[in-house]
Amino acid sequence: MIFSKKKIIIAYTIEKCSKCGMLKKREFIDGDCLFSELSKCNSCDGTSIIEKIFGEELES
Amino acid sequence: MELTNIDFDQLFGMSDDSNPLMMLIWILPIILFVFYGQRIQLYVTSGEIKKALKKLDGYKVDSRSELIIYLKKNLKLDDDPTEKIDKFLEYFTIMPVDMDPNGIVDKVRHTVRMREDYTREHIKLLSPQINDLELTKVQTLLEIASSLQMIYKIVNHMFLTAKKQNNYPLILPLQMLLPFIMEQAEAMSKSVPAFKTGQPIGDGIGPMVVGKIMLDCEKETIAFQTILAKTDFDGRKLFLIKAEGPGSTVGRPAEALETIVSNSKIDAIIMVDAALKMEGEESASVACGFGAAIGGIGTERFQIEEIATQKNIPIFSIVVKQSVKEAITLMTKQIAEKSNDVTSQIYEMIKENTKQGQSIVIIGVGNTSGVPQ
Repeated sequence: MIFSKKKIIIAYTIEKCSKCGMLKKREFIDGDCLFSELSKCNSCDGTSIIEKIFGEELES
Repeated sequence: MELTNIDFDQLFGMSDDSNPLMMLIWILPIILFVFYGQRIQLYVTSGEIKKALKKLDGYKVDSRSELIIYLKKNLKLDDDPTEKIDKFLEYFTIMPVDMDPNGIVDKVRHTVRMREDYTREHIKLLSPQINDLELTKVQTLLEIASSLQMIYKIVNHMFLTAKKQNNYPLILPLQMLLPFIMEQAEAMSKSVPAFKTGQPIGDGIGPMVVGKIMLDCEKETIAFQTILAKTDFDGRKLFLIKAEGPGSTVGRPAEALETIVSNSKIDAIIMVDAALKMEGEESASVACGFGAAIGGIGTERFQIEEIATQKNIPIFSIVVKQSVKEAITLMTKQIAEKSNDVTSQIYEMIKENTKQGQSIVIIGVGNTSGVPQ
């Protein structure tokens, strides 16, 4: 198709602090796994866990 | 009726400005299409199918090379796996005879499991130190490459047969089915990166919801690649089942259910799965219903229905609608965002359909790639 745009899917990871509930969206990196515990939350002393991993379509 | 005095000028509406050349221009294409119409259609359709075949060939070659690259990069192999992989890709499965359908489900299950066990053992032979997570990934990638090879072979066979026989009607079923075949093949081809990197796929919404509920519970292996966790909710006992993540597997939920039912009295079964949406339906919409929501070749569904019927247990289902492509590629944002909604629907369903003191089995059905518990 001449006029169709190429769609790129980018994987994102959503981190959620188990204490304050703050959400952080970042690009997926190898090794990310759902529900796995990550580093300390930026705004409190709680631990962030990976809440969601999903893909979003970008048109280029 | 008088046939000798027909006025052709009037008949063809050419009156005074008509000439024999104009007549030929009208009549020649009609003759051409009457005698050669099918052949012309065959050439036109052949062009479309050739383009599709080229795409299918691309999918087939890409999935094979991605598998080989993955093996070389992630497993410590002593030899080049290319020859062995090519041999694997040629393996076929002969389904049992269905002339006498009595007992065919057991035979189908046996044949499919035999193939799965064989593949698993031979991947282990390729790399004896392979862990279970990598093993399930390689097994899935192998299945994808093998399915794409089979699709290419079948489409190519149907196309070449029709061309060889110069038979247009023979190519019609292929032309009609091709868009659906291409949709499936494209989805399979695009699912490879998600399985390689261990990302959750759309079909994993069931295991994702149940896996989240069982996060803080004690877990045990109840069947091959299947996990059970027990918890309480509003005075009810919940038995949570899902495939063992984060490997790429669907587990054996029917076997798990059989074990639970043989040890405890179960009052309801709730199944959470991804379901194919109909055209026009919104993607990631959630629907509730009755009956066993589980795909695959049908052996698991048969066994679950059999247990439920024997013990008179009602089966409720919650499905998240999605397309073929969404089901086997990286989970979309819309589907991922429905997980909390599905969880609250499970609790609502429990309250509406069961009483305090009763026991409920909740099964998260689907491929648990990238979804631990």
